[in-house]
Amino acid sequence: MTVRAKFGYTAAGMTVCVALLVPFVLMGAFTKGIAGLGLHVDEMYSGGPKVRTIQAAGYTIDIHRPVYPHLLQLEKPFVQLDWKPVSALPSHVSDVVDVDGDGQPDIRVSFDVPKDAKAALRVNVEALNPRYEAMQNVGKEKFSRLIVRGDDAILVRIPLARR
Amino acid sequence: MSVLLTLPIAVWSFLMFAHFWEPNRAGQIAIVMTAVFMIAMFYMMMRTRTTYRWRRWFFVAMGLLFPVGFIHTVIAMRGTMGIPIEEMIAGRTPFCFLPIPLLILPAALTKTVVFPGSILPGTGMAGAGMAAMAGMWLAMTIVVGKGWCSYLCFFGGIEEGMASVAKRAKLKKIDTRWRYGPWAVLLAMVLLSLALFDSVYCMWLCPFKAVSEYVAARNTLGMVQNGIFIMLFASLVIVLPFLTKKRTQCAFFCPFGAFQSIFNKTSVFDVKIDKTRCSPCVLCKTACPTMSLTDESIAQGETLMSCMKCGACVDVCPKDAAVWHIKGTDVASNPERARLLLLYGAWGMAIMFGGTIIAGGLATILHVFIK
Repeated sequence: MTVRAKFGYTAAGMTVCVALLVPFVLMGAFTKGIAGLGLHVDEMYSGGPKVRTIQAAGYTIDIHRPVYPHLLQLEKPFVQLDWKPVSALPSHVSDVVDVDGDGQPDIRVSFDVPKDAKAALRVNVEALNPRYEAMQNVGKEKFSRLIVRGDDAILVRIPLARR
Repeated sequence: MSVLLTLPIAVWSFLMFAHFWEPNRAGQIAIVMTAVFMIAMFYMMMRTRTTYRWRRWFFVAMGLLFPVGFIHTVIAMRGTMGIPIEEMIAGRTPFCFLPIPLLILPAALTKTVVFPGSILPGTGMAGAGMAAMAGMWLAMTIVVGKGWCSYLCFFGGIEEGMASVAKRAKLKKIDTRWRYGPWAVLLAMVLLSLALFDSVYCMWLCPFKAVSEYVAARNTLGMVQNGIFIMLFASLVIVLPFLTKKRTQCAFFCPFGAFQSIFNKTSVFDVKIDKTRCSPCVLCKTACPTMSLTDESIAQGETLMSCMKCGACVDVCPKDAAVWHIKGTDVASNPERARLLLLYGAWGMAIMFGGTIIAGGLATILHVFIK
């Protein structure tokens, strides 16, 4: 038997041994390794990290960092605001929000909170600062322009005007 | 002898299925049925010294039962097969292996995963998370390489089943240039996913959305996307395999399959043509479901890198010239040993991955009859 053949059989035998290790060791190790790479889901989906929380009457408004699209991504830049908890929201929400934290109101957001969790949501946004785009009766049109229910929160994404 | 050779697989089946043992009766019956089926198929492979037809029973069963279990779970959790945008925002889109090659470049360059799922285990359909699926893919790819497409892909079984329906191919002349299709789709999808920062293949071209979950048709665009999924599924997975007796989606379209072909270079197992025995009758070329054999490759005693080690050519060869092979060894030296070593690894992974899919689908059906 040649050296190459010995290597071949050794590698084949090792492959079978590796197969035995897959469910007990390798799968978990690789999963941990990949999870430890520091990857994150694109902010166009996740909405970006939360940067500030505003206390309202019995509920809070979380403000996320603005999300800007990548090179050719077909969405507008936006900022996400979360109203929560849903159980503490009045049947109609109308809030003036200082999004950028400069002490000046930026937008007025108003939407109804139907008791039926499956009912469609609609939002109106009045832009008090030209940096933000107004929205009229918007549902869930695009990732950058929507109102949806999240986990015990109502998420509103407001597009930013192009600079 | 066949019983002895099957014994390790029987022990492995017991270990794997014991891990997934279910408290309900339907689940238990499904697990026992699947374990018996997997062991029986392996036994028949040993007894008959053939691979393809027994593997095919398993593969088709997995392909047909995956949608049963998956669609049932999706409907139970969400009430619809359409993915609502809020589920995508919440990172609850289930992640399969198909987009893995398309996500590598954006992840490497920006540490961003352009898929609306969850990296770690999540709630709802997020399941074990994307890291778990990628980890599993990596671990199993080390063992089976491109054999993933014959032993582990839970989509390929539908078209393999369709390719088995007709006795003879009705469409025999296929331009060999179609073989480059998967590479073209892979290149286009990698570049588009990077440029648009979107999982373009999942959003626009995956034929299997038709039997798993699709983009919720909120507007005209969504309707167009779903129309494309259905058309691709009907043509590449149903009609063309029936007409050509080839796995046309895998052979001409699948970008994951093209990517997985690279691992044929790292795998120690391959299929060779023993030129001293070959006539050449080209029966192997006709039988190959992915057109991985050409006149030139047969003359050189090789298969193309798209060979997925299904064993169709080996089984059909009347002269035993198409043989399983371990790299580095002589072509004629004990191909049965090479087949056995390949099958222990590949069937072990098939039991672990495909077996649970089959058991899940069976349990879903059995739940209708058994409480």
